[in-house]
Amino acid sequence: MSDTTTNPDAPATSTARPGRRLRDLLPALAAAAFAVVAFVLASQIPEGARLTQFSPRWWPELLAVFILLLSVCLAAGVLFRPTVTVEEDVPEEATRQGAWRLTAMLASIVGYGVLWYFIDFRVSTLALFIALTWLGGGRGWKALILFPVAVTAILYLLFGVLLRVPL
Amino acid sequence: MSPIVEGFSALLDPLVLLCIAAGALLGMLVGAFPGVTATMAVALASGFTLSLDPLPGLAVLLTIYVSANFGDRVPAILINTPGTPASIATTFDGYAMARKGQAGLALTSSAFASAWGTLVGIVLLMVAAIPLSRLALNFGPAEMFALVVFGLTMMIGVSGGRIVKGLIAGGFGLLLATVGRDPITGTPRFTFGASELSDGIPFIAAIIGLFGIAEVMNQILVHRKGRGVEPIKDFGRWFPTRRDWRTMLKPLAIGSGVGGVVGIVPATGGDIAGILGWDQARRLSKRPEEFGKGSLEGITAADTSSNSTLGGSVTTTLALGLPGDSVMAVMIGSMVVWGIQPGPSLFSNQPDLVYSIAGIMVIATIVALVISVLRMRGVAKLLELPQHFLWAVILVFCMVGTYAVNNSVFDVAVMLVFGVIGLFLKRFGIPPGPVVLGLILGGLAEGNLRRALEIGGPANILTSPIALGLLAVSALALIVPPIRNAWRARRARSAESATTPTS
Repeated sequence: MSDTTTNPDAPATSTARPGRRLRDLLPALAAAAFAVVAFVLASQIPEGARLTQFSPRWWPELLAVFILLLSVCLAAGVLFRPTVTVEEDVPEEATRQGAWRLTAMLASIVGYGVLWYFIDFRVSTLALFIALTWLGGGRGWKALILFPVAVTAILYLLFGVLLRVPL
Repeated sequence: MSPIVEGFSALLDPLVLLCIAAGALLGMLVGAFPGVTATMAVALASGFTLSLDPLPGLAVLLTIYVSANFGDRVPAILINTPGTPASIATTFDGYAMARKGQAGLALTSSAFASAWGTLVGIVLLMVAAIPLSRLALNFGPAEMFALVVFGLTMMIGVSGGRIVKGLIAGGFGLLLATVGRDPITGTPRFTFGASELSDGIPFIAAIIGLFGIAEVMNQILVHRKGRGVEPIKDFGRWFPTRRDWRTMLKPLAIGSGVGGVVGIVPATGGDIAGILGWDQARRLSKRPEEFGKGSLEGITAADTSSNSTLGGSVTTTLALGLPGDSVMAVMIGSMVVWGIQPGPSLFSNQPDLVYSIAGIMVIATIVALVISVLRMRGVAKLLELPQHFLWAVILVFCMVGTYAVNNSVFDVAVMLVFGVIGLFLKRFGIPPGPVVLGLILGGLAEGNLRRALEIGGPANILTSPIALGLLAVSALALIVPPIRNAWRARRARSAESATTPTS
């Protein structure tokens, strides 16, 4: 849930913001590309023994064609209709800092995956918590020491001790 | 032993009661944090409840579902931000009441209305679930296929003006469901030689990625410093007076009726019901001008209606196998892993389960009400917690929780991939609900369609009145919203041009 306020009497539609057209065209292109790839891959599914009227390819091919047609409809709607859209369609704008923060956090998660392979779960998870909290903007000993230690301990107790997950 | 006695006595297990207590606390917390929805919380909890037995596991998930619908009213009232989408309508009058120095009254009356609404929904569940599942037992492949189409289109139909995007999302989900073995011949499809994919895409991982990881990623992406709203500190009086109770009676009745009906419709949740209930109460009120300005009637109707959907959602989910709302779509995933297959035969084979589920929900409602009334001030303090703590906890719990389902690193990778897909969907206005629904119901849709066509060709579907009726309603659900939106837009434009003075 985004933290935007809600007004019951707010109009359902609003005029386009810059970049709107691209924001509708890009999913249409992505869906079309996905549908084409899916169709090609579906046509390579082995037919097997034809025990029934319908081959295992039939349903995936049908869905790929369905998605392709819809993506054409979406693209046509973007190109040929006035760009009036529903307000909830317009996402909150991303920030440059947010993009860097997200990239760094994802890199930390990948690093965590590697670290977990070599080092004990508790140590690697503690390191990840410190990294994520620091990247999120947490500073001071409470945020960077007390919080990571406490949450790692809870996590280990819950999964490692109570649920006996081999961590 | 009668199913009623058997169902309720199963809840005497201390572990089940402990799970309800834990679920209630967790649900209140997640509800109170804007940004953590009930769907996300249930998806997260799925990771660590799968190692429990079905009943304690269901107790955790259902209690989170119920109590998140209490906790989410706190930020809606105190900072005008719905804790989950179900409390959107609470903000209409809740925040206005809080600004008038009636935050305490708004919080307690909202809690009582929510409790009343949930209990009405539970009565509906106990009365309607078994007859509905008996009716659905007569369904053949044609009717079952039409039912799946009906469920999918209802979820797409309520996606605002995003019908085409919703259909693409549904098609994407159905296509993802074809990964694994063919449901009839067993031929491997889209597995690329990976044994992990032979049973299909691990849907708990996919759901956690789509609802948990994607939401956190989006919050990180759009976060701006110093944008938070200072919560209301002046609570005023807490408990409704006798006069307040009398004022609340009518909206309680209206909200119960609206929410009960909306809840039965697959894929529609508390957000829609809350707005509809609030609107109906305004139309029928003697003081409609007070609505949106801090009306006790408004907040009562919105919260009763929103929570009355819970029982209806559970009913359609378990009796028909169609998710009543997005939380239920996630819960179906866990149930399947436990060996509980929601659908018409579930309550015929295990009628006691209806009463166990109803019992869990009743206890959860009472516990959530008590926490709401006694600890609201404490829950309100949570709103001051910085966002970065929440991000770190959710990200790590998502990863470890997903790993714990099958002790599989592959599942964690799937979750992260679906997190990125979910972020793309979110940024480009594509609803993730139909993807999940397609993924869960895909096998059922394909298997039943192929069987129906094998048996009697297209005539098998076209000669079934139930299948035809469901398909007709599905078509209407897709056609009516864009026509209505276009009509409203045209009316707004003509009204605008009529009021604009000509130069």
